[in-house]
Amino acid sequence: MTRIATRLLTWLALAIAFVVFVFPLYYLVVTSLKTHAELFQAVPTLFPRQPTLASYSSLLFDQGFAQLLLNSIVVGISATALALVIAFAICYPITRLPVRPRMRSFVLNWALSLRFLPPIAVVIPYFLIVRTIGLYNQIPALVIVYTIFNLPLSIWMLKGFLEQIPAEVEEAALVDGGTRFQAFRLVLLPLASTGILAAGIIVFAFDWAEFLFAFILTATPDSMTFPVGVQGLVTQFEIIWNDMAAGGVIAILIPLVLMLFARRYVIAGLTFGVIREK
Amino acid sequence: MQRMKAVAFLSAMAIALAACGGGNNGASGASGGNVTLTIAAVKGVEDTGLKALAPMYTQKTGVKIKIVEAPYADLYTKLVNTFQAHQATYDLVMMDDPWMPKFGTIDALTPLEPLGVQKDTDVAQVVWDVGTWPPPRGPVPPSEKNKQKALLGVTIVGNVEMFMWRKDITPTGPKSYDEVLSNAKAQNKSNFAGYIIRGKATNPVVADFLPILWSFGGDVFDENWNVVFDNQQSLAAVKFLVDDLKAVAQTGPDTTDAAERDQKMASGQGYESSTWPGEINTAVLGPGSTVVGKVGFEPIPQGPSGKAVGMMGNWMLGVPKDSKNQQAAADFIKWMLQKDTQTTYAQNGGIPSRTSVLKDSSLQTANPYFSVLADALQAPPNWRPRTDQWNAVETIIGTELNKALAGQQSAQDVVTNASKQIRSLMKQAGYPTSQ
Amino acid sequence: MTAGAPGGAIGTAPAVPPSRGPFAVPARIRSGWYQRSRQERLALRLLLPVFGLVFVAATIPFVLAVVQALTSDDGRFIGADNFGRALSNDQLFEAIRQTAIYGSVVLPTEILLGLGLALLVHRTVKSRVLRAVIYVAAMIPIVIPQVAVGVVFRLLYIPDYGLINVLLGQTGNSQILWLSSPPLAIFAVASVDIWQWTPFVYLIMFAGLQTVPPESVEAAQLDGATSWTQFRHIELFYLRPLLLLVFFFRLADVLRVFDHVYILTGGGPGTTTQFLSLYLYRIAFRFSDLGQASALAVLVMAFMIVLYTVISRFLPADTSS
Repeated sequence: MTRIATRLLTWLALAIAFVVFVFPLYYLVVTSLKTHAELFQAVPTLFPRQPTLASYSSLLFDQGFAQLLLNSIVVGISATALALVIAFAICYPITRLPVRPRMRSFVLNWALSLRFLPPIAVVIPYFLIVRTIGLYNQIPALVIVYTIFNLPLSIWMLKGFLEQIPAEVEEAALVDGGTRFQAFRLVLLPLASTGILAAGIIVFAFDWAEFLFAFILTATPDSMTFPVGVQGLVTQFEIIWNDMAAGGVIAILIPLVLMLFARRYVIAGLTFGVIREK
Repeated sequence: MQRMKAVAFLSAMAIALAACGGGNNGASGASGGNVTLTIAAVKGVEDTGLKALAPMYTQKTGVKIKIVEAPYADLYTKLVNTFQAHQATYDLVMMDDPWMPKFGTIDALTPLEPLGVQKDTDVAQVVWDVGTWPPPRGPVPPSEKNKQKALLGVTIVGNVEMFMWRKDITPTGPKSYDEVLSNAKAQNKSNFAGYIIRGKATNPVVADFLPILWSFGGDVFDENWNVVFDNQQSLAAVKFLVDDLKAVAQTGPDTTDAAERDQKMASGQGYESSTWPGEINTAVLGPGSTVVGKVGFEPIPQGPSGKAVGMMGNWMLGVPKDSKNQQAAADFIKWMLQKDTQTTYAQNGGIPSRTSVLKDSSLQTANPYFSVLADALQAPPNWRPRTDQWNAVETIIGTELNKALAGQQSAQDVVTNASKQIRSLMKQAGYPTSQ
Repeated sequence: MTAGAPGGAIGTAPAVPPSRGPFAVPARIRSGWYQRSRQERLALRLLLPVFGLVFVAATIPFVLAVVQALTSDDGRFIGADNFGRALSNDQLFEAIRQTAIYGSVVLPTEILLGLGLALLVHRTVKSRVLRAVIYVAAMIPIVIPQVAVGVVFRLLYIPDYGLINVLLGQTGNSQILWLSSPPLAIFAVASVDIWQWTPFVYLIMFAGLQTVPPESVEAAQLDGATSWTQFRHIELFYLRPLLLLVFFFRLADVLRVFDHVYILTGGGPGTTTQFLSLYLYRIAFRFSDLGQASALAVLVMAFMIVLYTVISRFLPADTSS
C-alpha cells in the first residue's frame, strides 16, 4: 500500500517537474502565434484566439531579420570550421604522437582555464583590438572572437574523441607501408568524423546563441546577429511581445534541431568531454 | 609529410577566412554617385516620421536610405562604440539631446553650417542652442572652454516633456505640483493610480523626475559644476517623488517604463503623469485606447519655487566625422528642415520643430498637443546639464531613485548617496567640483 | 550518426575517462630512442606553430586589459589609480555580495534538484522511450539562446502582462511584483537560472548513475539496504567527482551571468540584481570608463586564475598531472 503510494507520489513529482519545466517553452510558442490585438488585452490568454504566423513573416521579411539570420549562420559556420581545424591541429599531436606529458597537460589545462573566464572581462580588450584593426561592425571580427572562445571546448571534445580511437588502427596502416599522412587521412579522419561533426554542432550552437560580443562588436544589419536583433525589439514605449517570441522560437529551433542529431555528445561538450555518456 | 599537413591546414584556414570575408560588404559606400545614407535611429515612435519620409527622399533624389534601429537603452552605447571605432559606419545618427555633450567632447560630429545647413527664426532658438557645442549658455565643461562653437545637430523630433491628465474627470489640469498631489490623492483608488510614476532605473525615472526637481528649485549642478543635488530644494523634490507621489501611484513604480505607463493610461487605469509628445498618438491615444478624447495636455506644472520648468528631449540628427557621405547627409538634413517636408512629416507621425508647422491649424485635430508644444519650446525649457559625464550622472541618480521607489532606501539616502557618487565622478573627470 | 561511433569506444566510455598515465603513448612508438625523438619532433612541429598562434591571440586581451588598466585615456602611465578607483567604489562590493547571494541560491538548488530528479528517474522510470523523451526535453533549455530565455521569463513575470500573476488571480494594484521587490527579483532571476541549468545537472547525474555497477546495488539490496543507504554508500561514491565538476562549472557560470539578467531586470530594482558582470558592463559602457573597467576586468581575471588553480586540483582526469 505504502509502496504504491510512494510510486504514485514519485510519478506525480516527475509529472509536475515536467510541466513546470515545459510550460515556459509552451508559452513562448503561444505568444509568437498571437495577433497584435490579442497582446493588448488586459488579461493575457493561454491559447491564441486566432493563431497566426504573421509575426514570423513580419519579423523575417518586413523587419529584415532574415539578414540577421543569414549573418548568424555565416558567422556560426565560419567560426565553427575555423575552431575545429585549429583544434584538430592541436589535438592530433597531443593524442596521436609522443608529446611530453607536461606539454600536453599545459595545453589542456590552458584550454580548460579559458572556460572559466567571464566574457565581460575580455569584451573591452577585444573591442579595443577590433577597433584598432578596423574590423568593427564586420563579420570577420565575430568569427575571430568566436573561434578563440570556442577553441577550448573544441580541443577538449576532439581530444576525447581522438583518444577513443585505438593507436593500433593507425599503426596498422603505417606497418602496411603507408605514410603518416595517409594513415591520418585514410584511417584516422574517417574514424573521427562522427566526433568532429558532433563537436561542430555543439560549437555552432554556442556561436549561434552568443549575445554579448555580438552586441558590442556590431552596429548595423550588415554584421548584426539574430540574438542582438531580438533583444532590440524592446523599445521605450512598447514591447512587441509576439515578434520577440517569434524571434525566440526561431532562435531555439535551429540549435535544437541540430542538437537532436548530436544528442549523444551534448553532455560531453558541455563538460568539455570530461564526462561522456553511455 | 608534415609539410603536406601544414599546407592542408593553412589552405583550410585560408578558405575559412575567405568565406567569412565574403560575407562582409562595406556599410556605406559612395560608388559612382549612387549614394546610400545609413542612419542610426532609435527604435520606436520617435523614428516613425523619419521612416515615412525616407522613401520620399529616395524617390525625389535617388539617394538610398538605410535606417538601422536600436532601442533607446542600447543606442547610446552603440553610438559611442561606433565613434570610438572610427569607421564609416553611419552617415547620420539620431541622438537624444543629453548625449550631445559626450559626442561634442569626443569630437565625433562634423559642423553642419559649413555644409550648408542654415539657422532660421521659425525654429525656436533653444532648438539651435541644444544642437550647438560647446553650449552657448550655461556652464561649459572645463575641457571644452576653448573650442569653437559649432552647430552639430539639428532637431527632428521637437520633444518637450509635458503633463497629461484625465480631463473627463477634472476639466482643468493641475496647475501646480500641490494640485498634482491633491488631485492624485482624490483620484487614487484600487486599480486606478492617482499618479503614474515612470520609475524604471536610469534614464526613465530621471526623465520623470527632473522637471519636478527644477520646479522645486533644486538642480544637479550649479553654474560652476558644484553638486547641489543634496541641498534642501533638491531633497524636497526627491521626497515629493519617492514619498508623496509614490503613496498615490501604481504598485511597482520601479519597473514601470513609458510602455507600461502608457498601457495603464490607455486602458483607463491612471489619472495623470508626465509624458513625451512622442508617446501620445501611438501609445496613449493609439489603437485600442479607451481614453481617446478624455486626456488633456498641458505644460509641466509649477513647483513651490513658483517656476514651471519643462524639459527638452529633442531628438537630433548629426553627421559623424567618420562618414564618407557628409555632404549628402547634410543635404538630407536641409531637406528635412524645409517647411513643406515638416508638414508632410507631421502628417506621417513625425513631431516637427518649426513653429509655423506646430501652429498650423490643419494639424491640430490629429495632434491636439502641437500648440502646447510650440509654446513650451518658446518658454524655453531646460536642458539636461551639458556635461559629457551626463550618462553616468543619469545612471547614478536613476539607480538611487529607483532603489527608493523599490522601497530600499529613503529620500535622504537618495540625495546623500547620489551626491557622493556624482562628486567623485566629476572630480575624476576633471571638473572643478568642490563642496 | 549517434549509433555505434567508429572506434566503438565512445558510447561505452566510463563517465570519467581513466587517467592515461604519465606517458600516453602507444607502446610501439615508445620503444627505441631514435624513433621516439623523431616522432616527438614531428609532434612539436605540428603543435607549436598553431598552439603558439592561438595562445598569443587568446592572451593579447589579458595584456591589453592590464595596459589599459595602468594607463590613462591619453596613454600616460598612472600606476594603480584605476585599481584604487575600482576598489574604492562601494557598488563593487555590493555587486560581489549580490553575486554571492545569487550563487548561494542557484547552486545548491540546481544541484540538489538535478540530483534528486536523476535519482527519481533512475529508479522509477524504466521505459527506454520515456527516458529518451526526458533526455531530449532536458536538453532543450541548455541549447536555447539566453536572449530567448530572457524573453520567455519577461512574459511570465512582468507586471500587468505577466502570466504568472494572471494565473494566480493577481491583478491591478495588489499584484505580486516579481521584478520589483528585492528578494523576489533575485528569486525571479534565479528561477531562470534554475529552470535553465537544473536539467544540465540532471543529465550529468543521470549519466553518472548509469556507471554504478548493478552488482553492487543488487548486493546491497540483498543486504536489506534502504534507498537512502543505497544512495549514500554506493551511488554517491560514483557521483562525487561529477558533483564537484558540476559545482565548479556552475560556479564559473554564476560569475559570468549576464544575458538573461540584462534582459529581465537590467540589474534592478536599484542594484539588487546588478551582479558582477552587469556592474562591469555599467562601468565600461554606461560610464564609458574603460580604465576603471579594465582594472575591474584584471581583478576578475586574477580571481578566476586563483579559483581555477584551486579547482583544477579537484577536476578528474587529465587536467592536472
